[in-house]
Amino acid sequence: MKIITTIKTHCNKSLNYVCKRLIITTILLLNTIHSSDDIYESSLEDLLNMEIELKANVGSRSGSIDLHDARSPTDVITSEQIEHSGLTSLTDFLRYSVAGFNAPETSIADGSDHVRAFTFRGMSPDQTLILINGKRVHTSALLHVNGTIGRGSSGVDLDTIALKSIDKIEILRDGAAAQYGSDAISGVINIILKGMGHKNSFSIHTGQRKNGDGEQLFTDAFISLPFKYDGFVNVTISSKGQNATDRSGLDKRVSPATSTTNVGIADANSFNAVFNIEAPQKNDMIFYSYGLLNHKDSKANAFFRPKNDNENSVLLYSDGFLPRINAKIDDYSFSVGIQGEFNDISYDLSNVYGKNSLNLNVENSMNYTLGASSPTSFDNGTLEVSQNTVNLDLKKKFNNIDTAVGTEYRYEDYEIEQGDVNSYIGSASQGFAGYSPENTVYSSRSSYALYFDTTYHMNERLFLEGAARYEDYSDFGTTSNFKVAFGYKILQELLFRATTSTGFRAPSLSQSCYSQTSSFVDTTTGELSTQGTFKPSHEASLSFGAKELMPEESRHFSVGTVYQPTKNLSFMVDYFLTKVDDRITLSEELGAKTQEQIDIFALNNISKIRFFTNAINTKTAGVDIKFNYKCKFNTNSNLDFSAWFNYSKNDILGFNRTKEYKTVLPEQLDRIENGQPKTSLKLLSRYKYDDFDFVLNLNRFGSYQQAINNLAYTFNAEWITDLDISYKFSNGFNLAIGGLNIFNSIPNKWNGLSGTFYGADGIKPYSRYSPFGYSGAYYYVRATVEF
Amino acid sequence: MTKIFLIFLLVSSSSFAYESEDELKVVLTGKIAKFITWQGDGEAKFVITVIKNPYKNLFEKKYKNKKIKNKPVLIKYIDDISDLSFTNILYIPKVTSKELSSILKKTTQKNILTVSTMRAFAQKGGAVQLFFVSQKGRLKINLDVIKKENFKVKSSFIRISEVVKGMVY
Repeated sequence: MKIITTIKTHCNKSLNYVCKRLIITTILLLNTIHSSDDIYESSLEDLLNMEIELKANVGSRSGSIDLHDARSPTDVITSEQIEHSGLTSLTDFLRYSVAGFNAPETSIADGSDHVRAFTFRGMSPDQTLILINGKRVHTSALLHVNGTIGRGSSGVDLDTIALKSIDKIEILRDGAAAQYGSDAISGVINIILKGMGHKNSFSIHTGQRKNGDGEQLFTDAFISLPFKYDGFVNVTISSKGQNATDRSGLDKRVSPATSTTNVGIADANSFNAVFNIEAPQKNDMIFYSYGLLNHKDSKANAFFRPKNDNENSVLLYSDGFLPRINAKIDDYSFSVGIQGEFNDISYDLSNVYGKNSLNLNVENSMNYTLGASSPTSFDNGTLEVSQNTVNLDLKKKFNNIDTAVGTEYRYEDYEIEQGDVNSYIGSASQGFAGYSPENTVYSSRSSYALYFDTTYHMNERLFLEGAARYEDYSDFGTTSNFKVAFGYKILQELLFRATTSTGFRAPSLSQSCYSQTSSFVDTTTGELSTQGTFKPSHEASLSFGAKELMPEESRHFSVGTVYQPTKNLSFMVDYFLTKVDDRITLSEELGAKTQEQIDIFALNNISKIRFFTNAINTKTAGVDIKFNYKCKFNTNSNLDFSAWFNYSKNDILGFNRTKEYKTVLPEQLDRIENGQPKTSLKLLSRYKYDDFDFVLNLNRFGSYQQAINNLAYTFNAEWITDLDISYKFSNGFNLAIGGLNIFNSIPNKWNGLSGTFYGADGIKPYSRYSPFGYSGAYYYVRATVEF
Repeated sequence: MTKIFLIFLLVSSSSFAYESEDELKVVLTGKIAKFITWQGDGEAKFVITVIKNPYKNLFEKKYKNKKIKNKPVLIKYIDDISDLSFTNILYIPKVTSKELSSILKKTTQKNILTVSTMRAFAQKGGAVQLFFVSQKGRLKINLDVIKKENFKVKSSFIRISEVVKGMVY
């Protein structure tokens, strides 16, 4: 009986097993048949509503390539995703959409309050190359010198680009300096402007924070005019008014303790304009041009100066004062180019000129040295950077080999213009010292590059890529870099890929030439003493072993796989490793120790200095895991879901200069290694039902640390939820309501730190490193008209 | 676990997905024919000719055992326009402007529907142009060419297409 039961059970199990396998096989078969015939049986309207695969041009000069076939890890973000995000700045959009992209909102950090620094994979802002339509973008003139994420670097100001002008954003998660030159170490972001065929539209967006502040009014418009031979003139304009938020704690220096200082998002008004033109000619030649214009007036502040801060304070302010640090930013770029084909050789000749200017001025302040005669507002000087790049690219296909060669000439300059005399003499303007005549500088350099890129389609499954780039810089000399990549389709659905490359980042002119010094009265000697940032070539810096800055050098390796079992489902897993030697950092403030240093400091009335140096070697390693799924429930509803996890670990491997740097840099070291979340998870979903559109995005930012007085404090990981619900009326009118961080997640305050300025009970109760800020929930309505 | 997998597969089978751009171009070419009426077409087969075919065997795969206008579909490949024989549709993937000019001269007044994804194809004298904006296919139709070639076009096709008139070639 027992044997019969056992046999029965076994048979049932086997039958069950066979049945399940049969069902699975049938469904798979049906699925295959369904998919192969699906598209042919669809109506013309349905075919025109189908989305083709996402393709990117970045990462290879062989033309656009399906992301699932890309040999280097690549992602694409579409304009639809941008439109339904509820976000009004590109920096914010990337922060909430790209795992591993970080852009904290800083406060009381001088110029850094006005120009957001961003990082990719926890590396430096200047280690990500930004392109527009494949052309290099100039950086901001601002050098982040305060204790913020990105300290010591000048990155591109992404908020100078109007969101509505963007067709798609291509993100190359790979070292690519061998293809694009300097800066392409942690990745390349290529912003593609809208081309032909896009609808005209006008949008208005308004909202405010849950706390009732941070009101925003954002309007933008896109107009496209057709031109002969499918050419176009596209113009985008946008304006944004952003009111400040304030999450400050109590100031214990005043009695009774009260809130004296604004801590939060800066108050800013900005205007952006973008044009993109293509004028094809009868002979297939295309003249093209694009231009960007940005003006921003931004107002932030320093810490409050109580009336007992200085004996002269009461001469102008009986109850103390809050110095306002304002920035006027003007940014523009303009490109012209011509592309076409001659004897099967594609050519592209272009010139791009870009300039960024940042004027800093201080209001509601005083220069203590000037006493009652001190002005209350100051022009503190202007920083300017400009860049002109000429490129010639040639491409030709030889059977199954795509080749590209090119050359580039780049000229860049950097300038510091002094502030008005009252802003820097004596103890200088409170809040931010003006740039003095000693700080003024004009510096320029040029570089030539020659590059070669090839892709060998060995067969339908195996692809090999190679790239080499030689550059000659007028300041530091030559550098050659190489990249090899390969992709092998083990199955039609399964791609194995790997890349290895070398790279570099030329020291920015701002890092080489920046100086800002201010004076204060030494309480022991009663004399004015100078401290601040000095050029690496200053004799005080040289006494610490400073040298002319050299380029950072990097080595990169990535290996990964893409699995796409069905057209609607894909997985990507990529491991990456980037080692950077001679990474440039801004040293901490150093006092004289040796006799030579003491003599030099005395001669120059210097008390402390800091300077840029190729100080450290770092390693960045991690993994990106992506999952994409699309599902159609019926003709009226579909779901688009993606999950993206990033793990990035940054380690300092060694130091290049004297050991004392190591001992005086604990805060800086901790910022590089632990100041940003090591993990980031994005769960992005969009559900369309008839004319309704629901976007629900969940973001998990991992924990991070900030060190104060050599002690590291941990801030917890947080989930952020964004929701956007929109309805499209038949006349092209679209109405949306939504919220960012709708559940009002706030980072924890300093845990165990008590202090006047920084601390749970201090003026700044939250860390400035918070990857999602600390201003809380934001709710908005948006109306869009397409015509 | 198996149940979850089965549900997942069932859902997958009814899912929508990214389509291959090439596949969509090839299928749209034949789909357009349903909206066009050819003059006095007494041929037994519906012929699509592809000049300088870049799609390997994609046309054959997609039109195998398929019918257009109740006729079996015949795919022809040519490398030179001088080799053109009877065809209902001439698909022109990518050629130079100079080549296009001679191709269009060769097809004029022959009741051949020219289809291409080339930029400005409709303006340059082609009949139907396919192009892509934000990952979605769009159509342009040159009504003057359609009229000149004696085609009849369903109004529903004109409604979903951008209409081009005249030629700037």
